[in-house]
Amino acid sequence: MVTTIRHYFSVAACFARLAVQRQLEYPLFLFSWLLMIPIQYFSGIWMLKIIVDRFQPLNGWDFPELAFLYGLGLLSHGMLVVFFINTWQIDNMVIQGTFDRLLLRPMSVFFQLVASYVNFIGLIDCIPGLIIFLYGCQLVGFEWTLGNIIKLLLVLIGGVLIRASLFISLGTIAFWTKRNASMVGFTLSMLERGTMYPLGIYPYVLQVIFTFIIPIGFISFYPAAEFLGKGSESFQLPLNFALATPAVGLACFMLSQWIFRRGMRSYESAGS
Amino acid sequence: MLQAYWYITKMRLLTNLAYRFEVFASVGTNLILMLASVFLWKAAYGGDTGQVQALTLQDLTSYTILSIMLASVFVCDVQDTIYYKIREGQIVTDFYRPIPLLACYLADDIGSMLSSMINKVIPLFVFAALLFGVPWPASPLGFLLFIPSCLLSYAILWLLSALVGLIAFWVMELGNMGMVKDSIVRVLSGSIVPLWFFPESIQTISKFLPFQYTYQTPLGIYIGNIGVREALTAMGIQLIWVVFLYLLLAAGWRRSKSKTLIQGG
Repeated sequence: MVTTIRHYFSVAACFARLAVQRQLEYPLFLFSWLLMIPIQYFSGIWMLKIIVDRFQPLNGWDFPELAFLYGLGLLSHGMLVVFFINTWQIDNMVIQGTFDRLLLRPMSVFFQLVASYVNFIGLIDCIPGLIIFLYGCQLVGFEWTLGNIIKLLLVLIGGVLIRASLFISLGTIAFWTKRNASMVGFTLSMLERGTMYPLGIYPYVLQVIFTFIIPIGFISFYPAAEFLGKGSESFQLPLNFALATPAVGLACFMLSQWIFRRGMRSYESAGS
Repeated sequence: MLQAYWYITKMRLLTNLAYRFEVFASVGTNLILMLASVFLWKAAYGGDTGQVQALTLQDLTSYTILSIMLASVFVCDVQDTIYYKIREGQIVTDFYRPIPLLACYLADDIGSMLSSMINKVIPLFVFAALLFGVPWPASPLGFLLFIPSCLLSYAILWLLSALVGLIAFWVMELGNMGMVKDSIVRVLSGSIVPLWFFPESIQTISKFLPFQYTYQTPLGIYIGNIGVREALTAMGIQLIWVVFLYLLLAAGWRRSKSKTLIQGG
């Protein structure tokens, strides 16, 4: 057992080193991401500030609270981009035939899929996330007690798992259809709008969907509502969010693993 | 001569119409953006029927819907085309063509625009009309002015895109500079939040930049926030930007040819 884990760790480390070296090959490429990602997200929060300043708090969320929510959502997005970005290109791997390579090695296929590309550039997504989140914490007067920090970590892990499960399940579609390419963009924008704005601004139907069917409300909205002591008007949750988000995350992740294994059974190589 | 361009446009149109799956996803993505923005405005007004900066919720709903439809029509692939052709070295065969290269790329993008109108804008319009009601223009005259203003907007966007593409002749590896430009345009053009809501100082600076004349001007004309006389002035400014950017591009293009370096081969 221990030797297996150690083996997996050394393989992951080796993959990570290769991935980082590959990404540092083109410095201007890195630089353009370094410009683009912060512009995108800082302007996003700035737009919210402009709207709140000119109008009124959105569904009872004022700017500090919105910044907290936005930052929390963005942080888990950033972590997803670092660790799970390979799930976005399962269809590509299927078509190119590179997925076959993973099947030939004596290791967990899912582990190889995820570990073979640690997206070092994704850390750039975490930077605006961290800045906006800390700024939001400052504005709302978040208390950095040990309990809160543990809760926060649990929520982040749960959030990343929920996001990852979505992309894994979507990617699995490629095993049957060989393509799902632009679904990634679609899901990304759904996640962005669903996690960075308060869920309460959407109609009731969408709130139900985002709570029970595609549970992205648990990524940031419900945790943020509880951290900030805002009663969400829509649903009363039976569990404390610090348990709910990781629990939902784990459940989704298990489900996505099951779907992934089912998909692999019907996988047939693209040939050529 | 024109026949050659029309052929390029037609081929692009037909190619794009052949990819259905991508279209579904693109319409879906834009629909989500549209829904999210409209509900955001609804929450901002909070059931209030009053006006903010002389705009009602209905105005902003139309503004948002039209803005997203315009964004799917305004295809400016030229920056990626130039970059890709230089990286792959194909630019050299393109230079053999007996017609101006940039005009070919424009014809290509116009083909994409036509296909987007058919398979992206129509479904988006239908969904928007079903969900939020038909976003009528403020007046027939407004609509008549909206069309030429859109054409000028597209000219500005396309020229900006081509200028970014030109950088690739110098640096070889352009990376995502095109996307950097796009995200600046998205904010400063007022395509998400109209600049009328921005702080005064930003509005003043923005008057001297080309961006607000790409989305805010035609959309403002459409919803009637820009009157007829102001609309004509704004279109005059659009035209000035088109001429200026065109001259810049022409100058850059002449110099870039001598800079062309073919990788490998």
